[in-house]
Amino acid sequence: MDLFLPYIACLIFSLALFVALRPARLQVKAVFIVIGVAAAGWLLGLVIGSLSAFSSASQGVFFIIFSLCAIAAALRMVTHGKPVYSALYFVLVVLATAGLFLLLEAEFMAFALVIVYAGAILITYMFVLMLSNQAADPDQPNTQPAYDRLPREPAAAVGVGFLLLCLVSGTVIGGGSALPENRTTWAEWSTLEHLEKQFKESVLKLDSEFAWPPEILENGKIIHLEGDEAFIVSSNGQTLVLPDEIMPRNTQMVGWSLVNDFPVSLELAGVILLMAMFGAAIIARRAIEMNEQEKNEVFGVEHKRHES
Amino acid sequence: MMSFGALSGYLLVSALLLAIGLVGFLVRRNLIVMFLCTELMFQGVAIAFIAMGKYLFDYSGQVMVIFVLTVAAAEAALALALVVLLHRQSETLDADSFGELHE
Repeated sequence: MDLFLPYIACLIFSLALFVALRPARLQVKAVFIVIGVAAAGWLLGLVIGSLSAFSSASQGVFFIIFSLCAIAAALRMVTHGKPVYSALYFVLVVLATAGLFLLLEAEFMAFALVIVYAGAILITYMFVLMLSNQAADPDQPNTQPAYDRLPREPAAAVGVGFLLLCLVSGTVIGGGSALPENRTTWAEWSTLEHLEKQFKESVLKLDSEFAWPPEILENGKIIHLEGDEAFIVSSNGQTLVLPDEIMPRNTQMVGWSLVNDFPVSLELAGVILLMAMFGAAIIARRAIEMNEQEKNEVFGVEHKRHES
Repeated sequence: MMSFGALSGYLLVSALLLAIGLVGFLVRRNLIVMFLCTELMFQGVAIAFIAMGKYLFDYSGQVMVIFVLTVAAAEAALALALVVLLHRQSETLDADSFGELHE
């Protein structure tokens, strides 16, 4: 019976989503969204097991809060009739996701997400929504056009979503215990070796009498790793144990990984952004019809210069 | 240290966001809301990337999210330019009304 509980939760979630997608009064929709969020919370509880799965209880509580916020806002966004409200609820999803990123110690991505998504992409969406917003009936400015009120094939779509959800939750519950669990720090330490100035400064701050530079090992590395301890040896045989605090932080590691492991992808991303900018400007430009006289008025100076 | 229980929680949230985004993309008729739903799917993928990166102690997950952000920004710019163009031609945002696009 326990085996089927996650699928039952998925089913309740999908049914609530299906009802909330249909045109109804706001209060009715809100009730079914609450049911959907409750089913999602149950599913999360089944998958996680207990709060002891997290490194601290407060982390588990924050995870639950942020994830339920994200799911509730996503449901509200998909079921809301007014596109502007959908966009605003999406901002809430982005903020909750940024909270989850903070819990995962990805500070840089959390703030980049808020800045790029909530600050830039969503503003673009809002501009276009404002440009193209229109009431179905000019006499009743509060009614939405039919294509915003009526869903298209909600049963089939929710069925697809239900299957996807069942597949993923089944996989997540079933496997994965073979993955590594031991903390490795060699990536951080070898990055610190490359960040020479920071390395030197933090070592000299630990021990101002350390004879810089330290010895280089046979394998080309500087930092010795033995078990949980990392230490360096100076040329006169002095050893210094490196505490975890001088490891590069998340943002430094992401930056290093970006330019060291993915240089070509970084360049390509730049090219993609440039082409998107050109493409958007070319697609959305408006051709201006002008007759001869108007052309003369606009380009008159040029024309006269040619004649003389 | 991240346990497998916590990881599966994050993966499930990402799957839920992806599923909601997919349903929204299929169900909604408004072109702009459809593109918003693809952004929602990107969010789900980003959570999965970062959670796996944390679990495997690999920073490539976060780098991948940077690329996802790039692609999302490029997609938003191009898609919205197309929406503006289509809206100028037919004064509607209904995706079904563009079924007969031709020269």
